[in-house]
Amino acid sequence: MNRILAPVLGLILLAGLGYAIFNSMSGQLALKAQITISGLIGSEKEAFFADPRVQQALLKQGLIVKTEKAGSRQIATAFDLKKYDFAFPAGQPAADKILQAVGKRPTYVPFFTPMVIASWQPIAKILEANGVVREKDGVYYWFDLDRYFAWTQQETRWKDLKDSAAYPVNKSVLIRTTDVRKSNSAAMYLALMSYIANGQRVVASREEMDAALPKLLPLFLRQGYTEYSSEGPFENYLSLGMGSSPLVMIYESQFIHEALKTPSGIRPNMALLYPEPGLFTRHVLVGLSENGARLGQVLSDDPELQKLATEHGFRTTDTAAFKAQTDNRKLAVPTELVQIIDPPSYETLEGMIQSIEQQMK
Amino acid sequence: MNSTATPKSKFNLFNLIVVVVIALVAWSWFSGKSSTPQPDAQHDSRALRVLAGSELKDIEPLLPQLEKDTGVRLKLDYIGTLEGAEQLAQGANYPLAWFSHAKYLELLEGARARVVAREKIALSPVVVGVRQSLAKQWSWDKNPPSWSDLAARAAKGEFKFAMTNPTSSNSGFSALIALIAALSSDPENFSLTPAQQQTVQDFFKGQRLTAGSSGWLSEAFVREQASLDGIINYESVLLQLNKSGQLREPLTLIYPREGVVTADYPLLLLDANKRADYDKVVAWLKSPAIQERLMKDTDRRPILPSIALEARFGSQTLIELPFPGQRSVVDRILTSYLDEQRLPAHAYFVIDLSGSMQGERLSALKTALLNLTGGDSSLTGQFARFRAREEISFLPFRHYAEPATEFTIASGGATENSLADARQFTQNFVADGGTAIFSALAGAYTQMAHEQIQYPDRYYSVVLMTDGANTSGMSLEQFKSFFRQLPQEAQAIKTFPILFGDSDNVAMQQLADMTGGKVFDGTKNLGAAFKTIRGYQ
Repeated sequence: MNRILAPVLGLILLAGLGYAIFNSMSGQLALKAQITISGLIGSEKEAFFADPRVQQALLKQGLIVKTEKAGSRQIATAFDLKKYDFAFPAGQPAADKILQAVGKRPTYVPFFTPMVIASWQPIAKILEANGVVREKDGVYYWFDLDRYFAWTQQETRWKDLKDSAAYPVNKSVLIRTTDVRKSNSAAMYLALMSYIANGQRVVASREEMDAALPKLLPLFLRQGYTEYSSEGPFENYLSLGMGSSPLVMIYESQFIHEALKTPSGIRPNMALLYPEPGLFTRHVLVGLSENGARLGQVLSDDPELQKLATEHGFRTTDTAAFKAQTDNRKLAVPTELVQIIDPPSYETLEGMIQSIEQQMK
Repeated sequence: MNSTATPKSKFNLFNLIVVVVIALVAWSWFSGKSSTPQPDAQHDSRALRVLAGSELKDIEPLLPQLEKDTGVRLKLDYIGTLEGAEQLAQGANYPLAWFSHAKYLELLEGARARVVAREKIALSPVVVGVRQSLAKQWSWDKNPPSWSDLAARAAKGEFKFAMTNPTSSNSGFSALIALIAALSSDPENFSLTPAQQQTVQDFFKGQRLTAGSSGWLSEAFVREQASLDGIINYESVLLQLNKSGQLREPLTLIYPREGVVTADYPLLLLDANKRADYDKVVAWLKSPAIQERLMKDTDRRPILPSIALEARFGSQTLIELPFPGQRSVVDRILTSYLDEQRLPAHAYFVIDLSGSMQGERLSALKTALLNLTGGDSSLTGQFARFRAREEISFLPFRHYAEPATEFTIASGGATENSLADARQFTQNFVADGGTAIFSALAGAYTQMAHEQIQYPDRYYSVVLMTDGANTSGMSLEQFKSFFRQLPQEAQAIKTFPILFGDSDNVAMQQLADMTGGKVFDGTKNLGAAFKTIRGYQ
């Protein structure tokens, strides 16, 4: 029965649709066309593009955006970029890597976010007792990277710390990151730690790099298995808890976005630590086609999209909008970050990552 | 790359009616179709094939709902962890893969390159189930023991447990990694001092039941619970065992103090063209309703942090132990388990060399044994070959049982020589005469009963390979009464019959049932059957 009905119904359907489309098209061909574009994004922006309000706002600008997520640093090497209209990695170095692969293209930085350490109240208390963390304005904690770096060189373990009864674990005190070969957030951690290893200076020469690398290697090798993209370690932090993830390098936006959700995975015993010095990750959109570039323009200029970005935890040039978001949910995060450093040049960072990669094989 | 469409702004009422009517007709047609699935759904080419770990079998009941909600049908093909990783590295054609964890797979160069996307679906730590009365007696229910406490009890013979073979199955693999990280003073390096190495050996003195898969292990544990004190498996499997009503005594779940390794069940996309279907499946699996169901029906912990854990999962902080980031480290740990740490195995190979084995069958047998004596250089082949400290006894039979020829696989640099000896012996096999299956098998059990008295700290097992029915010597019934006379310990030794040629499948199944073993099918690939059984030895 179905075998007979199917083609008949199919024909009716086609005829009807054709008629309807013809009718609605006639007389309004002049209207602005909608364009479907596709791009590769870092996983930390997946929720932003999946948000129906974002899609609606983009539609108003005539854009339908399809995204695939990838490790930011993999975008340049693991994909055929000719198939995409834009690439939207996290981090200037990842964008530079793409630009090296595709040549000169327009870039946009619609939003940015600082690197932070997701942690726990009991952990923060232990670190505070040991002088690595200090509380400020009653809520958030500054994390002293210099002292932490010294611990990593001595392979300090949690159970060896003063007042560590709440976490008497034989694991090394190590910030967990993603796979430095694949993902930007780990590369940003490397940028921060190389600054410390180089005596509080951005690594700028081959000599400085060679001197710093032996000290930096254990920060990555000793982590053991690492995940590919920034959502992996944060997912572990949220669902496996303190026993799995005492300290995790994440984007501030990941934490804020989760906190603004209902229901939210953020619990009262969680703590956000701000490394000192700090570093911003710029979310750089590389326009691979003309329409992809338009997306960059729209994301940067459209007030509604800029506001939605803050609702996803990103910071924009409008600091007041960001503050309004976090105040609204009583999230105590610093509006201004002082002592911000720049990542090393693309070549230097790449060079360091390649050296680490050699050792990870 | 770019496609253009026109916005619909001036749809008039008539157009709307036309479209709605068509939509309704189409909907009723499609939904009518989906409510009467084709009987041959199993072979539907539209189904997405998934290479999956056997521990995911309990997901199957959810799949019809998945298809109903998303239109995507998954067909799961089960395989062991390392074997699955190896097949993917060699290019096995699957659009999706799903294992309890993919860490080993991602450490294999060839397999890693194939993963397009990955999403964790649920969580389950690998933990230790201990008989409730023992846990109470040792106060483990109140104060969780460390892994070295477990080792101390195992060394004294007070704690006998079941655990899968780490080279075949993920639960055993995870437990081994956890144990090494827990005992090491430098867990990030997985290095052991000689004293710590001894503790690992102590621990494995208690491993009195092993298996190539987590599911079979828990079934065998139910059968043999009288002689075992515990089982290492996924928390989800242990919770289900407790619910099953098959245990005389419930298991207390022990989360060792130093920590555990947790499975995170990533669904992997391997074929970029199936991205749309993959996204649908992931969105469905990670939706709150399905996450709740996964928790309720399969006892796994949800990956969604917003879903509250039910009380039976306990409230303790689970320390997650490090997992190696380099394949060489994992391989070192696995090799060390096989060659130094586990109870050494004594495997008996009762092999049919009757006349019917001549020709292709004999050469298939020789190839299979060549592989076990070092001829298979693949990843899984290296782990499956005869390992250092192992005793191998060959009992070929024709119309009479030949005396056993025994090989001791030497450790270190001498391993290759002992493998070569065994290799040479098996490659000289000649087939002729009749088939005295049960006399040969009885001979093996008689010997093992003696060996057990002299060497109780060995893991004994029998592989029985025959290509036909019994023609001489003891009958099956005679063997059964002989078997019942054996000492209790000898009766616990499992026989793994391999179906081959014209073997008597009914008799083989009876042998497996009687000895607590398992039948393997060697009719299509004899070598693969021999290799898989190695996980049970």
